[in-house]
Amino acid sequence: MELNPAEHAPPPEPSQQHWRFRSAFRLTGFADVLGMLAVLGILIILFGFLSRHFLALRTLQSVVNQVPDLMVIAAGMTLVLVAGGIDLSVGSVLALSGVILGMAMADWGWPLVPAIALCLSIGVVCGLANGLVSALWSIPSFIVTLGMLEVARGIAYLVTNSQTKYIGPRIEVVGQPLPGLGVSPAFLIAIVVVLSAHILLTRTVWGRYVQAAGANEQAARFSGINTRRIKLMTFVLSGLLAALGSVFQVTRLSSADPNGGIGMELSAIAAVVIGGTSLLGGRGSVFRSVLGVLIIAVLQTGLAQVGATEPTKRLITGGVIVLAVVADIHRRRWSNAAASAWRRVRPLTPRAEKSTFRRRP
Amino acid sequence: MTRYGFGCSSSRCATASRAICLFGLFALSGCHGTPAAVPTKPRIALVMKSLANEFFATMAEGARRHQERQPGSYDLIINGIKDERDLSRQVALVDEMIAQGASAIVIAPADSKALVSACKRAKDAGIVVVNIDNKLDDHVMADQGIKIPFVGPDNRAGARKVGEFLAKRLKPGDEVVVLEGIRTAFNGQERKAGFGEAMTSAGIKIVDSQTAQWEMDQANRIASAMLGEHPQLKAILCCNDSMALGALAAVKTAGRTGEVSIVGFDNSAAIQSAIKDGAVLATADQHADQLAVHGIELAMKLLKHENPPADTSTPVDLITAESLAKP
Repeated sequence: MELNPAEHAPPPEPSQQHWRFRSAFRLTGFADVLGMLAVLGILIILFGFLSRHFLALRTLQSVVNQVPDLMVIAAGMTLVLVAGGIDLSVGSVLALSGVILGMAMADWGWPLVPAIALCLSIGVVCGLANGLVSALWSIPSFIVTLGMLEVARGIAYLVTNSQTKYIGPRIEVVGQPLPGLGVSPAFLIAIVVVLSAHILLTRTVWGRYVQAAGANEQAARFSGINTRRIKLMTFVLSGLLAALGSVFQVTRLSSADPNGGIGMELSAIAAVVIGGTSLLGGRGSVFRSVLGVLIIAVLQTGLAQVGATEPTKRLITGGVIVLAVVADIHRRRWSNAAASAWRRVRPLTPRAEKSTFRRRP
Repeated sequence: MTRYGFGCSSSRCATASRAICLFGLFALSGCHGTPAAVPTKPRIALVMKSLANEFFATMAEGARRHQERQPGSYDLIINGIKDERDLSRQVALVDEMIAQGASAIVIAPADSKALVSACKRAKDAGIVVVNIDNKLDDHVMADQGIKIPFVGPDNRAGARKVGEFLAKRLKPGDEVVVLEGIRTAFNGQERKAGFGEAMTSAGIKIVDSQTAQWEMDQANRIASAMLGEHPQLKAILCCNDSMALGALAAVKTAGRTGEVSIVGFDNSAAIQSAIKDGAVLATADQHADQLAVHGIELAMKLLKHENPPADTSTPVDLITAESLAKP
C-alpha cells in the first residue's frame, strides 16, 4: 500500500474525513463495550462472592424483568443528548402517562390496547410540548424540560387526587414473565426498541443528522439540515419512550402510582453517561447506554440482595457512576497518548498501516 | 405550587386578616386601649407534609369538610410542602403563619427535631401549637423548654396488630423480611418496631430489613432481590401500602403467590381491592381523615383556655378481607 499524499494536506477531503471518523467511531465503540462488559462482569463476580443466591437464574430473571422501563427511557435520553439537548421530564412524564393508563383501565373500564394507545399519546404530547417550546422558541431544553418535570407531575397528582390506582391481573400480560421463558414481553419489546433506536442513530441519514445537530448545530444548519425539526423529533421520541416505560412499569406493578419515576431522569442520565454519551451532544450510542442500564440494575439488585444499608447503597452507586465515567475518559486519553507516542516513534508507517486497515474488502 | 393547593383561598384570607388587623389598630388607637369589640373567628393554620401524598391529602380533605360543616366557628388555612424532605420550606411556612397572625397552628412536622425551634417561635408569639401525626422529639422540646400537645395514631400498636394477625398464619421459626420507610421518619420507625415486637413474640425470624423510601417501584426492586436471596421467605411486612403493592408485584413475578404473604399499613384505596382479592393479607387504618380534625378540636379547646390534655392517641384499626366485607 502506497502513501496517499492527499492525507498529509492539512484540511482533508470531506469524503476521507468521513471515512476516518467512521472507522474511529467503530473502533472506540468496540473498546468501550469491552470495558463496560468488564465492569459488568466484575460486579457480577463480586456479588456472586458476597451473596449466597446472587449467581442464580432467578436473579437474572428479576434483573431482566426490572430493566425494560429504564432501558427504553435511556434509549430516548441518548437520542436527546446526542442531539445536544437534555430531557429532565422523563420521570414525571412516566408518572403522568402511567396514571392515565391506570385510570383508563381501573376507573373507565377501557380494554388494554386502547388504554395503552392513550397512554403513549400522552407521552407524545408531553414530548411535543418540550420539543416545540425548546426548538421553536430557542429556549434551553434544560429549562423547558425542568418545567415539564413539575407540570407533568402536578397533572399526575391532580387527575388521580394523589391516589394510587390498583388495576390488578387484567394488565399483567405485558409486565409479568412469560411461562416457560422467564422473560416478560416488556423485555422483548424493550430489546426491539433499543435495537431500532441503535440502528436509527448509527445507520440512517436521520441518525447522522442528529449527531451533526448535536456536534455543531450552526454548522449543521448551514449545511442544510433542519436542526429544529431534528431536535423536536428527539423530544417526541423521548416522550413516547417515557410513556412506553410507564406501560412497562404499570404492568409490572399492576398499579399506577403518581409518585412513580421520581428521580428516573437522573438514573437514565447516569446510565447514558456511563455508556460514554457526551452531555454536550454529538456523540453517543444507544447500545452502550443499555449496558449502562444493566450496570446500574445489577448494582441495585446486588446491593439489595446482600442487604446493604441505604447510605452504603448510595455511596457505592455514586462511586461506580463517577469511576465508570473517569475510567472511560482516561481510557480514551491513554489510548490517544499511546497513539501519539507511537506516531512520534514511527512518523510515517502508522498512517500507512492505518490506511491498510481502513481498506476493507 | 402545593402551597395554596387546598383550603380557603388564602390570598383572600390574608387580605381579610390584614383588614381586620388594621381595623383593630384603628379601634385600639381610637378608644385608648379598650379591646376591639369585633368578634373575630379564630384562624387555624394547618401545616402539613406533602399534599401530593394520598395520606396527607385525605387528612387535609377531612379538615376542610370539618370546617365547612361549621363555617362560623373558625377559619382554616391549609398549607403543604412539595415533598416530605422539604424541611426548610415547612419551617418557612410556620414563620409565614406567625406573620399572618394565625391564632393556632396545627402541624404535621416533616422532621421531629428540625421543626421544634419554629414551633417555639410560634408559641412565643402567643400562638397555640398542636402537633399531629409525627411526634416532635421530647428531648429537643425539653431542651428548648416548651411543651406541645400531640395528637396522633399509635403507629407501633397498629403495626403490632397487623403483625400479630400475620403471625397467626405463620409458624415459629419462619423467615420474614421488612420493607421500611424513610429511616428518619418517626412513624416509619414506630411501625418497624411494632412489626418487630409482633414477630419476636411469635418466634418468627426477621432475616432482612431494608428501606424502600416509601416508594412502590423501589419496593418492587428490593423485594425481588430479597425473594431471590431468601428462598424460604414466608412474608413481607411493609411499612406502607405503596410498598406493599410493589412487593405484591415482586411476589407474582417470582411465581411465589400464595407462598409469601404481604401486609401493609395505611389502608389506601388501592390496597383495599388487593386485600379483597386476597393478594394482600392485612393493613392498618389510622383514619387519616379524622387526624387533623382531632388536632383542630384540641386547638379550639386550648384557645378557649380549657385544660390542656396530655398527648392523645387516635385509634388504629386492623383491616383485613373480613373487615372490608362488612358494610
